[in-house]
Amino acid sequence: VTDHSGVGIKVLGVNHRTAPLEVRERFAHGAHEVPGALARVMAAGAQGGVLLSTCNRTEFYLVTEEEPAFDTVWSLLGERLTATPTGGVREYGYVVRDREAVRHLYRVSAGLDSMILGESQIQGQVREAWEISRAQAGPVLHRLFQTALHVGSRVRTETGLGTGTASAASAGVAVAGKIFGDLAGRSALILGAGDMAELAATCLSDEGVKITLVANRTQERARAIAERLGGRAVSLEDAWAYFATTDIALCSTAAPHAVVTWERVGHVIAGRGGRPLCILDLAVPRDVDPAVAQLENVFLYDVDDLQTVAAQATARRRDEVPAAERIVEEEADHFWAWYGGLGVVPAIKEFRTRMDALRAAELERAMRQLGHLSAEDRAHVEQFSQALLSKFLHQPTVALKAAAEEGRGYGLLEALRRLFGMEPPA
Amino acid sequence: VIVTLHLIVLALYGLGTALALAPFLGLPPSPRPLNIALPCAGAALHVVAISQLTPVGLGPALSMLALCLVLLQLASERLLRGSAVALLAGPLATALVGLALLSGLTPGGSAEAAGSRNAWFILHVALSVSGVALMALAFIAAALYLLQFRELKARRFGQVFQLFPPLERLDQLNRFALLVGFPTLTLGVLLALGYGARFSGGLHVAKAQIVWGMFTWVVLGWAVWVRVVRHWAGRRAAFASIAGFSAVLLVYVALKLAQPGVERFL
Repeated sequence: VTDHSGVGIKVLGVNHRTAPLEVRERFAHGAHEVPGALARVMAAGAQGGVLLSTCNRTEFYLVTEEEPAFDTVWSLLGERLTATPTGGVREYGYVVRDREAVRHLYRVSAGLDSMILGESQIQGQVREAWEISRAQAGPVLHRLFQTALHVGSRVRTETGLGTGTASAASAGVAVAGKIFGDLAGRSALILGAGDMAELAATCLSDEGVKITLVANRTQERARAIAERLGGRAVSLEDAWAYFATTDIALCSTAAPHAVVTWERVGHVIAGRGGRPLCILDLAVPRDVDPAVAQLENVFLYDVDDLQTVAAQATARRRDEVPAAERIVEEEADHFWAWYGGLGVVPAIKEFRTRMDALRAAELERAMRQLGHLSAEDRAHVEQFSQALLSKFLHQPTVALKAAAEEGRGYGLLEALRRLFGMEPPA
Repeated sequence: VIVTLHLIVLALYGLGTALALAPFLGLPPSPRPLNIALPCAGAALHVVAISQLTPVGLGPALSMLALCLVLLQLASERLLRGSAVALLAGPLATALVGLALLSGLTPGGSAEAAGSRNAWFILHVALSVSGVALMALAFIAAALYLLQFRELKARRFGQVFQLFPPLERLDQLNRFALLVGFPTLTLGVLLALGYGARFSGGLHVAKAQIVWGMFTWVVLGWAVWVRVVRHWAGRRAAFASIAGFSAVLLVYVALKLAQPGVERFL
C-alpha cells in the first residue's frame, strides 16, 4: 500500500477525458482568478501551487499533503457548478501523485495528453500558467514547470509529434472547407481578439479567406489584428448586422456567457436567403447560444467538435508517440533524481555540521568544568560525544536518504528545516 | 460477344462499386488509382460492346444509360476530387447493366433495326439518354448533398464528412448537371421530331414514349427553372432534384407496367 499522506507533488484536475465541455467551461479560471484560487489552497496547507486552466483542462499542481488542500480544491471547483453530480465534483476529476504527477505535466506540455495529439498551443498555456502562478509556485513547481517547457520543446524538435496542422483552428478551416469547398474569397467575421482568435483568423486568412471585421470589447487589440489581416475593427454591438453577409463567423471572446444569441442574430441570419453560414465557436465558455444552430443553413461548431475533427487528422502523429514518451520518461527520471535528492546531501551536511557544532560547544563547556581530567580521559569523552551524535544522527540520515531515493525527500527536508530551524536553500 | 462483354463490364462496375463502398463498411479504403481504373476499364469495354449494339429496345437503352452514368461519374470525380459520386452511380450503373442483360441485348424488329443505323436516330438516342443520365447525376449530387448536409448539421465527422465532397461543390454539380442536361434532352427530343418528320413520314412512336418523354422534359425544365429563375440552391434545390427524378422514374415504371415488353424502351 502506497502512503500518499506526506508532502509531495500532486495534481488534481479535470480534463477533456473526464468532464464534458459544459462542465469544463465552468471550471475554467481566467488569469485574474488564479491567484485567489491558489491563495485558498495555500491557506489550506499547500506549500506551492500552479493552476493550469485551458479549455481542455483545469489542473492544480500542488506541493502539499493531501488533506485539507485536496478538500479545498474540490470545494473550490464544486462551487462553480450549478448542479453537483451525485458522486460530488470528484466524479469529474483525477488525482496524480509524485513521479506520475511529474510525468503527467511533461506529457501535457509535450501535447501527449491533449485532445489534439501534439498540438503546440498547450506549451504556451503551460508557460502562461507558470508565469501567472509564479509567486505561489515555490521552488519545486518552479523547476517542474521550467523543465516541462523544456520537455515540450524537446519533443517538438526531436520528434514529428508537432508536424502537420491539427489544432482546433486548423480543424475550423477544414470544416469550413467541407461547407464552402474553396475558401478563397470567402468573408469572415472575427469576434474576440485573443490569441486563439488571432491564430484561427490567421489560419483562415492563409486559405484566402477575407477577414472583413474584427469585433471586440476593447477596440485597441481588435484594431491591431484587423490591421494585420486587412479587416476593420468594430465593437461587438456593431458586429451583429454583419451576420447577414459573412460566410464564416469565428467566435473566441473571453465573455463568461454566450454573446451570439438568437435574439441578437436570429433575425439577421434569417435574412440570408438560405446561404450557408459557418460559425466556429472556439471560446470556452462558449460564445454562441446553441439555439442559433437551429436556423437552417447555420453550421455551428464548438471547441469539442473542432477538436474531434482535428483528432482525426492526428492519426499519423501517433507513430511519433513512442519517441515522445521516451523523452518524457527520460526527463521525468532526471527531475525525479533532482527532486529525490533535492538538497538532501547539503541538508544532511548542514544538519550534521550544526549538530556537531552543538556537540563541540557543549563538550567545550563540559570540559571547562572537568579540568582535572587527563588528556586521555578528555579524548575518551570527546570520542563518546562523537559516537553519541553519530548514533542520534544515523536514523534521520538513513530515513532522509531513503526518502530521497523514493522521491519523497522534499517533504522530509521541509520537516527537518522546520524542526531544527534550518534556513531553506536560496 | 455483346453479352460476354456486358458480363465483364458488369463485373468491373460491380467491383468498382464494392471498392467505393468499402470505407463505409469499415474496410480500409482502396488506392484512388484503382477506384478510377476499374470503372475506366469497364467503360472502355462498355463502349466496345455498345458499338456493336443496335440502339433499339429496353436492353440497349439501359446499357447506354449505364455507360453515360459511368462516364459522368468519372468526369465528376475529377471535378469533385473524390469518388463519392461512385457510391450511388456505381450501384445504379451496375444494376442497369444487369437489367440490360436480363432484358436481352438483341435488337427488336428488322425495320426498326435498319432505321436505327440513321445518324439522326443514333444522335437522338445518345442525347436523350445523356439527358436522362445528367438528370440522374443531378439526383446523385442532390442525395450526396443532403447526406453531407445532415452530417455537417449534426456535427458528425465520420466517413461521410471525410469522403464526401464539400456542400457547395455538390450544389454546383447538381446545377451543372441540370443546366447541361436540359438542353441535351431538349435536343434529343427535337432530333426525334426531326427524324420522324424526315425519315419516317411522321411520328410513329408509342403514346407512352411521348408521355414519358414530355413529362421528363417538363420536370427537367422545371428543375432548371427553379434553379435559374427562382434562384433555388442548396437543400431546397436538392429536394427539387430528388423529387423530379423520382417522379420521372415512377412514371416510367408505371408506364412500363402498363405496357410490358422489351422491344422498345417504353
